[in-house]
Amino acid sequence: MESGQESRIENTSEVQTVDESETLADSAGAAVAPVLEARSLSKRYDEVDAVVGLDLRVGPSEIYCLLGPNGAGKTTTIHLFLGFLEPSSGSAHVMGLDVAEEPLKSKTHLAYVPEQVMLYRNLSGLENLAYFAALGGKESLPTDRLTEILGEAGLQADAVHSRVSAYSKGMRQKVGIAIAIAKEAGALLLDEPTSGLDPEASNEFSELLEQLKDRGVAVLMATHDLFRAKETGTRVGIMRHGRLVAEMTTDEIGHADLERIYLEHMHD
Amino acid sequence: MISHIVRKEFMDVVRDGRFRWCAALVGALLLVSLGTGWVQARNAQKELAAAQATARDHWESQGEKNPHSAAHYGVYAFKPRLALSFVDEGVDSYTGTSVFLEAHRQNDFLLRPAQDATPAQRIGALTAAQVLQHLVPLLIILLTFGALAGERERGTLRQLLATGVGRLELAMGKALGASAALALLLVPAAVVGAAAIVVGSPGPATSPLVRGAVLAGIYLAYFATFIGLSLAVSARAPSARTALVVLLAIWVVNGLVAPRVAVDLSKWLYPTPSAIEFAHTLEQEMANGVEGVDRPDRAVVTQNLLAQYGVERTEDLPINAIGVFLQESEVFGDQIFDRNYGALWDTFKRQGYVHEALAVTAPLLAVRTLSMGLAGTDVEQHRHFAAAAEQYRRDLVERLNGELTENSRTGEVYLASADLWSQMPPFRYDAPEVSWVLKNRALSLLMLGLWLAGAFVVVTYAVRRAEVA
Repeated sequence: MESGQESRIENTSEVQTVDESETLADSAGAAVAPVLEARSLSKRYDEVDAVVGLDLRVGPSEIYCLLGPNGAGKTTTIHLFLGFLEPSSGSAHVMGLDVAEEPLKSKTHLAYVPEQVMLYRNLSGLENLAYFAALGGKESLPTDRLTEILGEAGLQADAVHSRVSAYSKGMRQKVGIAIAIAKEAGALLLDEPTSGLDPEASNEFSELLEQLKDRGVAVLMATHDLFRAKETGTRVGIMRHGRLVAEMTTDEIGHADLERIYLEHMHD
Repeated sequence: MISHIVRKEFMDVVRDGRFRWCAALVGALLLVSLGTGWVQARNAQKELAAAQATARDHWESQGEKNPHSAAHYGVYAFKPRLALSFVDEGVDSYTGTSVFLEAHRQNDFLLRPAQDATPAQRIGALTAAQVLQHLVPLLIILLTFGALAGERERGTLRQLLATGVGRLELAMGKALGASAALALLLVPAAVVGAAAIVVGSPGPATSPLVRGAVLAGIYLAYFATFIGLSLAVSARAPSARTALVVLLAIWVVNGLVAPRVAVDLSKWLYPTPSAIEFAHTLEQEMANGVEGVDRPDRAVVTQNLLAQYGVERTEDLPINAIGVFLQESEVFGDQIFDRNYGALWDTFKRQGYVHEALAVTAPLLAVRTLSMGLAGTDVEQHRHFAAAAEQYRRDLVERLNGELTENSRTGEVYLASADLWSQMPPFRYDAPEVSWVLKNRALSLLMLGLWLAGAFVVVTYAVRRAEVA
């Protein structure tokens, strides 16, 4: 979708039209290039359309929350941005790079936290972070800095050197977030990152996202959590059957509105 | 970036208790088999050297005797254990280690260790070559079956690939990480093996260290092939368990099925006569001759000599007609032996070609052939030794018959002096050069090279197409 065009999604009376140039403007109103962009992106598995004609743009300092039920195409969208899947048609771009054409280069700008962060059980949290950070191009990060990042992600200091086999899901998730922070990528892809986290950890996670947003990171987060999407997101998109059926800015709607709109689309 | 993957893989593997136990077991078996093999080879070589000296002593202590009687008295030739025979005893246990050299006969080899082995020894004998050919690949499978399938199952693969690491880099790092872990047991074994050659070589061989280095290269290529295949299967298998099952099936085919099929198929395509049949044919041909090879007639030989020297009585001949006849009989016998043994060896050679060609189905067949060849314990080098021993026999008998012919007249009783026996040079055997071995085993080298290249191509393809989640 070209900048300046209106979203193809029809507005409801409660939701304002989302103008792309508006969305991708910085605080001074200047147009900025999108960090993440899907252009008519589609993915079809045999007879099933997982993602259909998705047009999406996420700019710097934006947190875009993709809402939708299981099977709506949220994870597939993230996997298409990661280059794990080849699009059936259309394209995914990261910092202007076509993911299908430059899979490795595009990943240098991406960090990713899956629903279940899986780590190497025989290595400690610090060793896991050092390993993933090194693979992500941060080979020279000193141990002190890595420890600090784990602290920023919320991991208790006494767990840093313990083997991950003794970690809870929440602790693993924090290491996953630390991996994303360490990479200092321009875009962050999150796939249900707070699933299974306790409320306190979820809250810490939201604060962390705010910090990343302030640093100019573009965040695309797939989630079921309407409350978290409204609280932390700058924009919300609702997906159903692989299509983006609604898109709105969060500062213009309330929690109840979001829930109502979501349910309306789910029951169409 | 690869160095980080290698380091992490190495650390991950080494911290895994299962690997530590398996590696310790395989490493211990390897070192024990190298040690016992070396001790056995050295003892055997000492015994052979002592037996050779005793046989020579007996030969030289014959006293005055007719030279042809001395040819019947005969000597023994003992096949030396080559320097690397402690790594791979090959077919030595079955081919025999000594041969009795006498006039008129090309004898079979004697002293086959397998004949004296107890049933337990036949089942339980473990050589370093067996450990390297069977157990190390099994360890490689255990190390690598989950390399990619396990990462995918655990969910770490997508996180890894999301970092921006390339798939081939990841596979290469995993291969090198597994290699580094394997090196923990292979490097000490290689050092022990090299020390065994340098410090106290159990037997002679031309350039044993070169043979050892080439042998090490062959095994490294074999292990690299297995690592490649294992990673390829791991990349494409839907689960780590499936990868393990597929790889174990490959291991069984490679280590158990293919060798058996190769032996049976080569024997079926190129059958060899039974020992009784062979002996019967030889006996018949020696008695009656065959077309183009006629048994010499003593009367004809005598008549020819009388005509040649222009005399009418054998007593007037300047040489001993019996000596000439005996040598012509030798030449006749040699032709019969060459005909029959030559055909037998050629059949073995054709069987060997089939065996080597079937390495296209299993790399073990190529590695086994090359390993035995470089250790000097294969059929080809047994043939090399047998040919040298037979040539010595023929030269010795010809010289003894010549002594009789030149130094006596027909009808005389001739006894050669006791000095004559020590003038006969002792049997001396020079093992073939490593280049001879490799030239003989070019097909196996080609097959192993194809496996290595094939594994590289397959793993590249499989890793590129591997599912992430």
